[in-house]
Amino acid sequence: MEQKIIVNMKNITMSFSGNKVLNGVNFELRKGEVHSLMGANGAGKSTLIKILNGIYNAVSGEIEIEDHKVQIKTPSDADKYGLAFVHQELNVCNDMTVAENMYIGNWIKDQYGLYDRKATSAKAKELLDLMGVNINPDTPVGRLRTAEKQIIEILKTLTRESKVVILDEPTSSLNEAEKENFFGIIERMKKNGVSIIFISHFLEDVIKLSDRVTVLKDGINNGVFHAGEYTKDDLVVAMMGKKIANEVIEPIKVKKDAPIVLELQNLSSKKKFSDISFKIHEGDIVGVCGLLGAGKTEIARAIFGLDEYSSGKILLHGEEIEKPRPDTMIRKKVALLTEERKSEGFIPLLSIKENSALSIMKILSSKLGIINRNKLEGFANNIANQMTVKMSSINQSVVSLSGGNQQKVVIAKCLASEPDLFLLDEPTRGVDVYAKSEIYKILREEAEKGTSIVIFSSELEELLANCSKIIVLKKGQITEQVDVKDLSKNSLLSMIG
Amino acid sequence: MQEKINKVRFVLGEDIMRLAIIVAFLIIMPIASPYFLNMRNMMNILQNISLQGITAIGMTMVIITGGIDISVGGVCALTAWIAASLMKSGMNWVLACLCAISIAAICGAINAFSIGVMKIPPMIATLAMMNMTRGLQTVISRGSTLTGLPESFQFIGQGSIFGIIPLPAIIIVALYLGASWFMKRTILGRNIYAVGGNPEAARVAGIKNNRVLFFSYIMCSILACIAGIIFVSRTNSAPATLGTSLEMRAIMAAVIGGTSVTFGGKGKIMGTFLGVIIVGLITNALDLVGVSAYYQQFIQGVLVLFVVILEAIRSMRAVRQH
Repeated sequence: MEQKIIVNMKNITMSFSGNKVLNGVNFELRKGEVHSLMGANGAGKSTLIKILNGIYNAVSGEIEIEDHKVQIKTPSDADKYGLAFVHQELNVCNDMTVAENMYIGNWIKDQYGLYDRKATSAKAKELLDLMGVNINPDTPVGRLRTAEKQIIEILKTLTRESKVVILDEPTSSLNEAEKENFFGIIERMKKNGVSIIFISHFLEDVIKLSDRVTVLKDGINNGVFHAGEYTKDDLVVAMMGKKIANEVIEPIKVKKDAPIVLELQNLSSKKKFSDISFKIHEGDIVGVCGLLGAGKTEIARAIFGLDEYSSGKILLHGEEIEKPRPDTMIRKKVALLTEERKSEGFIPLLSIKENSALSIMKILSSKLGIINRNKLEGFANNIANQMTVKMSSINQSVVSLSGGNQQKVVIAKCLASEPDLFLLDEPTRGVDVYAKSEIYKILREEAEKGTSIVIFSSELEELLANCSKIIVLKKGQITEQVDVKDLSKNSLLSMIG
Repeated sequence: MQEKINKVRFVLGEDIMRLAIIVAFLIIMPIASPYFLNMRNMMNILQNISLQGITAIGMTMVIITGGIDISVGGVCALTAWIAASLMKSGMNWVLACLCAISIAAICGAINAFSIGVMKIPPMIATLAMMNMTRGLQTVISRGSTLTGLPESFQFIGQGSIFGIIPLPAIIIVALYLGASWFMKRTILGRNIYAVGGNPEAARVAGIKNNRVLFFSYIMCSILACIAGIIFVSRTNSAPATLGTSLEMRAIMAAVIGGTSVTFGGKGKIMGTFLGVIIVGLITNALDLVGVSAYYQQFIQGVLVLFVVILEAIRSMRAVRQH
């Protein structure tokens, strides 16, 4: 029996500064269905969902909800049509109770129009029981574990009687037992007629949960699969493309006797990662791969001194670094490209010139700290050309550039200090294909000059194409260190998923 | 050629609007009041400007770091009073001023410590400092006004060069030129923009954010102290009410001058200079037209809100564009 279509996105096209990220994508969701959305990073999943949420407005295309054409221009429009979004980052108020969090903004009132605490608690209990969740509605949310908070976020959507619930990577922080619990809740929601869009990187979870799977690749719909009619490999090929999935790439060659630049010995940080040990040789490109929450970003930040670690050793050129700090690490010729380009990569209102020279202003100034303008301009012109930044002049502000070119400026900033060790966290997130290949080229050139490069990434293609060795992380621990030449994408995918 | 025009537009940009407002005042006011062009009135404007003008330099720096300092009025009153009382007790006036400046620097350092190290919101941290300094000043002065300061000291505020250009005018212009150059051309100046524009990115780039904050808040307090000393020297008196609502006028000058209070990293010292002149002209115009001091305070508040809203609308538009 075919249920009726509840959400129908037709021919959705979207572009950012002339760069098409979605090209005529169709996506439909039936009543009581779990429909998964998969795709490699940058395939357009989150853009599609943000269009449905009203955060982005599509360039063209239509959205129909229960056969009526609708305009979703803002998140409050999406709310009005009964669409509820549960984001990866949790939006709970830690000091309020479970019940209050579930009914937040939707308070149950008594006959005088005042907030009715008892009724809220009772209704929350009803819902928790119905969904088989064993949590006391009067506990402050701050005392719950992350997995439980996530469940509260999902139940929040039910108090609003949402018809459609969109879950973005809900299982990434759950352990096996919590996952079982979560799957049970999804089943019960389905039974109550709620339709679910499930966005995930985890193949097993997707296969287990979905009635249908839509795979996006490079902004187009690359196949819709019905439960029981596909294999894991089908999904991987749809996500990666047949050609690339089988392509052989020449990995970077490292000199046999290259000295060790970075060595980690049992580096641990409470709750984030534990017992991380690896060695990076001069001129090598090594990948650290893992999903969100696996601990990649945390390790990179700990090495650079942005976050603290609780035990273990960091050795740079064989010398132990105690209490690393960004400014001292830069002096020791280490550079870090952070994951969040917008919030940590550059100063939006400053020019390309000033951003690229941010770490090395001292070299471009007199002893008294007065900037030598000729030196600064010469340096900035030079490095911007080397990085092939597309710009009208070095005085242009960085916000006015496209994502790929912004990233090149941030890379220029890191390379300005001529690092011996360059750590990159998700270096090509939100960057178009062409800029990506240019960034890879720059990294290879740097490695050939003797810089050691560590790429922390969840994008497998990128690691396979550039690294000689890949370190696989899962839940904050290294599960494997493998040479790229012995590896296929499929085996890597199953290692991390 | 086109590039040159663009450059001129880039340099002047919004400042054309500010210059236009000043010119409009200079045209309209002589018609509205016969006293406006009077030499005494002109001096009056200049003297008002010197107090809030010097304070506004530091305020602009602090606002560009993404913060705010509402303790400037209190710091100004306390340190100027201390300088005056030290002089009266027989200390050399240069030494007395240096003592006052050191105390101001300590106040600024405490502000920066609360904000940078303890991560207290700047408004709250400096509100506490404002009450501490005002309170202390009331205690030690018992609300009295000090007068009869050394002649040599009075020269700073009352002297002139070539017999016509008042010394405070020269000091203020010199401070503005110096600060403007400093913000544009030195590492520390650029780091102030970087820390205000994106503190996380600045930290990742190896900038020591707290060092930048300490410098800015200490400088802001020191400048408020210097402004107070000049005022005391000019009037030959240190009143207990010195620097009342000084923070408001300094913030108003910075905001009218194009410094953003919505997000850090945006603003220019020379914009503030024009802002200070506009605030001075507005205050003077209200005086001349005979608006009472109570209304003036209300009007100041309305003006600040109006300008901040204009600025917020502009930055919202800018955000939407990206």
